[in-house]
Amino acid sequence: MKTLSLRNLQKTYFDPYAGSQVTAVHDVSLDVEQGEFVSVVGPSGCGKTTILNMVAGFIPYSGGEILLDGAAVKGPGPDRGVVFQSFALFPWKTVLENVGFGPKMRGVPKADRDRIAREYLELAGLSHAADRYPNELSGGMQQRVGVVRALANNPAVLLMDEPFASVDAQTRMTLQEELTRIWQERKPTVIFITHDVAEAVFLANRVVVLSKGRVLDQIKVDLPRPRVWDHLMQDETFKRLSAQVLQMVRSA
Amino acid sequence: MIASGQRTGSKTPGSGWVWRTMNSLAGAAVFVAPLLALVAIWAIVVPLFEVNPRIFPSVASVADAAADSIRDGSLIRHIGASLLRVGLGTLIGVVTAVPLGIAMGVSPAVSSFLTPLFRFFSVLAGIAWIPIATLWFGYGFGAIVFVIFNAVFFVVAYNTLLGVSTIPMTIRNAAASLGARRWALLTEVLLPGALPNIVTGVRTGLGFAWRGLIAAEMIATNVGLGYMLFVARDFYRTEVIVLGMIVIGLLWLLIDRLLLVPLERATIERWGLVRRT
Ligand SMILES: Nc1ncnc2c1ncn2[C@@H]1O[C@H](COP(=O)(O)OP(=O)(O)OP(=O)(O)O)[C@@H](O)[C@H]1O
Ligand SMILES: [Mg+2]
Repeated sequence: MKTLSLRNLQKTYFDPYAGSQVTAVHDVSLDVEQGEFVSVVGPSGCGKTTILNMVAGFIPYSGGEILLDGAAVKGPGPDRGVVFQSFALFPWKTVLENVGFGPKMRGVPKADRDRIAREYLELAGLSHAADRYPNELSGGMQQRVGVVRALANNPAVLLMDEPFASVDAQTRMTLQEELTRIWQERKPTVIFITHDVAEAVFLANRVVVLSKGRVLDQIKVDLPRPRVWDHLMQDETFKRLSAQVLQMVRSA
Repeated sequence: MIASGQRTGSKTPGSGWVWRTMNSLAGAAVFVAPLLALVAIWAIVVPLFEVNPRIFPSVASVADAAADSIRDGSLIRHIGASLLRVGLGTLIGVVTAVPLGIAMGVSPAVSSFLTPLFRFFSVLAGIAWIPIATLWFGYGFGAIVFVIFNAVFFVVAYNTLLGVSTIPMTIRNAAASLGARRWALLTEVLLPGALPNIVTGVRTGLGFAWRGLIAAEMIATNVGLGYMLFVARDFYRTEVIVLGMIVIGLLWLLIDRLLLVPLERATIERWGLVRRT
């Protein structure tokens, strides 16, 4: 059953410096199934962030449509959870309050939302940090909070824009493994944007390759789960798929 | 923008309070020592050069003046009047300026339109308003509170405006995508996000207000620390003038230590949002 569909999506920016229109997204159509994990890769400037921001409702689109469970998307809303590259945690709220923010906006009473938040923090191995403030955490920990904050709100789709790009390589691999584990447990629908090809393949059921504002190609990833780097690193299928995607991106 | 907050995570139970008491005593000593040194120099210099008491008083005569004015209750009366005016004016100023600043800061167009205006008025704020304030409110309480209000209002509104417009868009987007609507966005994001600047504004505004207060009291009233200084001058009572100056300075230090610093500690330092300007 498809949850999210983008139909002939198009975005034109007005560039105030050049004084002209710039088309960032030409014509993108994409269907995402319920519980599917879709990675989107493509060279810098191909429109990945623009697409995600339109789906999130942060910016309007210039053409086409975005349907979520059949209804047109208009503006940001709690049915689409977002994980930001810059984490975007609320510095003035504790970790627990950050994670409980979505439920709070839904009117969930304090005791209940604290329980929900603690449950999600446990899922991310962050129970000990519940009462700390974001600036007291490492980047990796902050992004774990960012992920479970979005999840705790039970969104229909989880949108992630290069969420692990600003942490070190070690931490990134751990976060990727944790994300696949969490995904297996909860089966959220995810759109994950990255320009790291190995990351895209490692995480996804399907990789979508973009080029200059268009979908260039798509590839199914049927690797078994749970996915762990120690195994996959030497796995022939993983290597073959990654090489394939890399080639598409480079030809993009 | 985000400086990493230092956290001394030592949670030694039991004897913890001993350390804390000693620490704060040591802190107080460091703080008081330079002031005491100044008094010591004063105590040496005045008798040494046989300074005319009409030019500058001795330490002993100021101490006497302090004792007298405490005993007859006049010092407390002046301090009370001054603090009441500053407190009330500041309260009204902050309570009106913060919502206005936030309302204006929400729209970038409005905020860029108003910024020069608010800069203009925040420089003008305070004593420049005394003449017109006395015409509007007459001499006394109303005019002085208005001057204080004025000193605080524009600075706080301007800083709130600034604070709101410096909240990263991603943070607002994050709140919106978690389901925050208008009101929640205001109370959960804009207000706390602007708080570092609001606190800066209150600090600056209160500084203006405190100076403005003394000036206004010299002109527009018959009670208060400014009035106390001004009347003493007519009788060449330098010991009362110096006493008043000391009290004014000390009160400011107390306001800073007991009000502003703890406020900053509990909020923006804890959050790692130290934005000193
Ligand atoms: N606000 C904007 N105004 C004008 N042009 C923009 C704006 N945002 C993006 N663009 C342009 O749209 C195109 C796509 O940008 P986008 O940020 O979506 O790329 P991206 O695929 O996310 O790139 P990266 O991998 O570097 O993050 C780029 O050419 C960019 O310059
Ligand atoms: Mg991008």
